[in-house]
Amino acid sequence: MPIQTRRSDDGRTLTIKIEGRFDFSTHQSFRDAYEHSDQGVVNYVVDMSDTTYLDSSALGMLLLLRDFAGGDSAQICIENCNGDVRRILSISNFEQLFAIR
Amino acid sequence: MVDKPHLDEEALAELRDVMEDEFDVLIETYLSDSADRINTLHRALVAEDNEMFTKSIHSFKGSSINIGAPLLGELCLRAECAGRNGHLDEAGQVLDRIESEFRTVSDLFQRLLNA
Amino acid sequence: MDEPLTEQAPLTILIADDSDTDRLILGKLISRQGHQVVGAVDGQDAIEKFEQHQPHMVLLDVMMPRLDGMAAAREIKRLAGERLVPIIFLTSISDAKTLASCLESGGDDFMSKPYNRVILEAKVKAFNRMRLMHRTLSEQRDLISERNRQLLSEQQVAKRVFDNVAHSGCLDSPNLRYHASPLSLFNGDVLFACPRPAGGMHILIGDFTGHGLPAAIGAMPVAEIFYGMTSKGFGCGDVLREINQKLKRILPTGMFCCAVFIQADFHLNQLRVWNGGLPDAYLQRHSGERLVLPSSHLPLGVLSTERFAADVDVIRTEPGDALFVATDGLIEAEAPNGQMFGEERLVTALDDHRGSEAIFQSVLNAARVFAGDRELQDDFTVFCLEMVDEEALDQLPDRLLPSALTGPSDWQCDYELNDTTLGKFNPLPLLLHICMEVPGLRRRAGEVYTLLSELYTNGLEHGILKLPSAWKNSPEGFGQYYAERERRMAAIEGHHLRFSLSHRPSADGGCLTIRCRDSGEGFDYQHLMAKRPDDHQYAGRGIMLLRQLSTSLRFLGKGNEVEVVYDWQYG
Repeated sequence: MPIQTRRSDDGRTLTIKIEGRFDFSTHQSFRDAYEHSDQGVVNYVVDMSDTTYLDSSALGMLLLLRDFAGGDSAQICIENCNGDVRRILSISNFEQLFAIR
Repeated sequence: MVDKPHLDEEALAELRDVMEDEFDVLIETYLSDSADRINTLHRALVAEDNEMFTKSIHSFKGSSINIGAPLLGELCLRAECAGRNGHLDEAGQVLDRIESEFRTVSDLFQRLLNA
Repeated sequence: MDEPLTEQAPLTILIADDSDTDRLILGKLISRQGHQVVGAVDGQDAIEKFEQHQPHMVLLDVMMPRLDGMAAAREIKRLAGERLVPIIFLTSISDAKTLASCLESGGDDFMSKPYNRVILEAKVKAFNRMRLMHRTLSEQRDLISERNRQLLSEQQVAKRVFDNVAHSGCLDSPNLRYHASPLSLFNGDVLFACPRPAGGMHILIGDFTGHGLPAAIGAMPVAEIFYGMTSKGFGCGDVLREINQKLKRILPTGMFCCAVFIQADFHLNQLRVWNGGLPDAYLQRHSGERLVLPSSHLPLGVLSTERFAADVDVIRTEPGDALFVATDGLIEAEAPNGQMFGEERLVTALDDHRGSEAIFQSVLNAARVFAGDRELQDDFTVFCLEMVDEEALDQLPDRLLPSALTGPSDWQCDYELNDTTLGKFNPLPLLLHICMEVPGLRRRAGEVYTLLSELYTNGLEHGILKLPSAWKNSPEGFGQYYAERERRMAAIEGHHLRFSLSHRPSADGGCLTIRCRDSGEGFDYQHLMAKRPDDHQYAGRGIMLLRQLSTSLRFLGKGNEVEVVYDWQYG
């Protein structure tokens, strides 16, 4: 599975992990990952530790998640990016919209 | 000791069986061999050569037992013991009895060969 | 000497007796049993006849002129060497001391006068059996020792071949310490370390099931994959998946490789650790804290690719933190009393030590002390990695260069997708693969992928499929966009998309030029170039990314051809 999700014990944090390429082909499963989660999720973590590549459609998907999670009040953290992924996020000024660690 | 026979008939029968047509050769070999040994034993006594005496009497004992002359073998054993203990005079006395027993055994063998 | 092979075959038997009478009787007894007799009249004669006739067995009178039986026996045994030539003493002696010294001189048995032919026959047969058995054992022993010699020399050759494939990598880095027996490969242990092109290193400590050649055979493909993929810049997940897939395919069920895979990043000060089936690994922090990293996966080569999980523990570290890994041979090392070293002693040895050198020595000393006088069984691998400042490892990437620099760097190629293939086939992995063959470019894989992907998406989705970006402005539209994309893809006809790639080397890197031309109608690119997406728009970032990542971006023709030039440097 290229996308895996995990709920924290208190149910408030949803971690979405993307394996391999993050591009248009993952858009449906990426959406399913957060839209199908139960109520009560406050924090979102996108774990990119196994994400190799990223393109502009992935950036769009991250923005979709952000809007779903409450837009400007969304609490989304993007974690464990490799250098290339991080560079593309930063070119797009995503640091201003997401907590990137 | 005295109850040992001059010849062991059973052993001789087996030897005859084993040696087949070489039985006569065996007996003749034994007789001439033993005559030589008795000469050697006498020389050893004269020379007071204990070792030569013991070795010769030991071999004589062995072949006598093998050929089926148990009394002669027994006398050889006594002489060997005396020799080993350094009692050459006693060994000499036994040697006389050995010579006489050998003559008896020789006669018996000759009769056997001529039969 | 021709050796009778069966118990029934006639033997040559030497009879040494100074009494003609006894020799005659014994000779006859023996020859009636079907054997050939060689006679000797004393000990000296016996030795000469022995050398001349090489008999299989010797019957020796004890008291003989010139040389007695015992002296002859000693000489005959010496001449026979390794061959068993049974010696039976012929005697009328009965004192125990003499009989004992007969045996000491090399005799195997006695035969007393008068001879009993039944006993004699039984003894000759028994000793012949023993002689044959001894010969069989000697031959088998020689065969085994020859085979063992062969095996060892084959292992040496195999080891050399293996070393050529699994060169020591960067195991000699100053921050790595390890203990492994020279032929540990044949215990099934492997230890690889390889610098990553973008910095840091990969380390694999593995323990194949079994011993000997079967255990060693899987090591070769693992080494190839490990070094090949690591030096091309693949991450630990990719390398693990590939190794697992290969082992799953080639190893018989029941054979697998327990392993710890480490990806060390000295720049981010971060470790990624995957433990499948090895004992607990320990991160002994500089602060004294200890983190246990237990096995949380099945070993490599067990699960199918679909079920294999390559997720790792990501651990933030500080310089001075040390990661300790050992194969189970350490925990199972035995003391003279049969007791095992065990985890508790290992943890005790780790306690109160800081830095990899101290930890490493402490554990090895503890294992040696535990093993006592006994030679430490050398069938385990112990490894310790120390986190250091990146600068301390400056020399690592340089060493990678010679091998990394062999590859195409000056080339160009055109690749055109036509008609229905356009709708079915994603060319990006192939094109990326071509680019990644350029030495050093692998470390820019992410950027090159994004360039290719944006050009492809632009040409396909907008140029050919004519999908309007504006759809992607709402979440529902986003889904609709991709649903429509799928629908239109299936119906593609009469179109083509052409990639022209070229690469030229430069002094400190290279220049990659990518052109993508589609068979669509083109568009008003002047207008688009002026526009920037606002932060909250879901689409429109493609062109902006291309422009940011590349040295130059141009639209050609009527807007249906885009060219990016990407200058890059080693770094």
